[in-house]
Amino acid sequence: MNVRLLMVAAALGALAPPAAARAQTERLAGRVEARTRAAVEALVDSARAAGLPGGPLVNKALEGASKGADGARIVAAVRTLSRNLARARSALGSASAEAELVAGAAALQAGVEASFLELLRAERRREPVVVSLAVMADLVANGVPPDTAAQAVLALARVGTREAELVAFRQSVERDVALGAPAGAAASLRLNEGARQAFVDQANTFAPANRTPRKP
Amino acid sequence: MRESADDPLIARVAEELRRPVAVRPGFDERVMAAVRRPVDHLPVRAWTWLREPRTLAVSPLGGLAMAAGLAALLVVGTWRPGSETGPSGALGDAPAGAAQAASADAASLVTFVLLEPRAGAVTLAGDFNGWDAARTPLRRESSGIWTIDVPLRPGRYRYAFVVDGRRFVADPAAPRAVGDDFGQPTSVVTVGGAARAAGGLL
Repeated sequence: MNVRLLMVAAALGALAPPAAARAQTERLAGRVEARTRAAVEALVDSARAAGLPGGPLVNKALEGASKGADGARIVAAVRTLSRNLARARSALGSASAEAELVAGAAALQAGVEASFLELLRAERRREPVVVSLAVMADLVANGVPPDTAAQAVLALARVGTREAELVAFRQSVERDVALGAPAGAAASLRLNEGARQAFVDQANTFAPANRTPRKP
Repeated sequence: MRESADDPLIARVAEELRRPVAVRPGFDERVMAAVRRPVDHLPVRAWTWLREPRTLAVSPLGGLAMAAGLAALLVVGTWRPGSETGPSGALGDAPAGAAQAASADAASLVTFVLLEPRAGAVTLAGDFNGWDAARTPLRRESSGIWTIDVPLRPGRYRYAFVVDGRRFVADPAAPRAVGDDFGQPTSVVTVGGAARAAGGLL
């Protein structure tokens, strides 16, 4: 066997699906019927070829199987998620982590415009944006209009709001909505309150700590 | 130098020096061959060896073994711990990209709690266990409270409680998932990154 033949054999070996990818789709065995499994595997392969993570797609298929959904519905859901993962990567950048793409896809599915994801990434270029994206989607799930939710999270990101504060903001809106407030108004109100508090905190930071009032 | 005829010692030395040196036959050729030979340094030899075309004799079985080895190297090169969803363990099933995004890839212990006094069994199904309800049963505490701790890496996970093996129940303490694809209640838990390396349930 000469070198050329050896190279061909090596290339064929390299083209074989990696063991980890096989392990992904093998999770579908016994959970999803054969035709659905073949369709999902094809979608996973396409996603992986495009550099997208396959794990979330397999999870979506398993979720459908666990909930007793029929094959067509499972395939449709996997296809939608694959499309949203691609959109999320396009908006957030190719260096984005899998968890960010998953959270971004959820925000997109909730109705948030891709342009908001781009703006968020521009604001937090060096930090993970998983929580910010999750809060966007959670606010929409609570009834906040997608644009309002995205603008609120973006405004909080611009002032350097930390993850825990973002979550506290979401929880405040949830509480207000549970008490009967309109979701959009609750988000705007809490955002203004947060901005006011940030202004007060900033003022306190610059104020002399031990200033005593001068007696007349 | 000018030799002196008066000095017999100098005359003898001069005579000795004038005598032609006897060398072995072929000496000149050997010297010239050595001069013409290229420099024999190791890097030069190695480069020459690398550039020379050659044919390797490998059996078909050996070729396949080498191809398999190359494929294995590619797999090892692209594999990251947790980057692919494994069939067992919540940690193995966690989205792994967060490992790149956040400096802290540490798992947070997330406690799931459900109040279901009349349930015979409560399990947890979600992205972190391949939606396999049988894998994550909750413990029954007093007063009908069911609970379990699950280690999760940073990321966003969809999940639901499964009561008595058939009824999907959303977590009342967590946000609902938007746009449920399969018509069943689903909740969402987000585990934060570096700022919340421990107890990062958000």
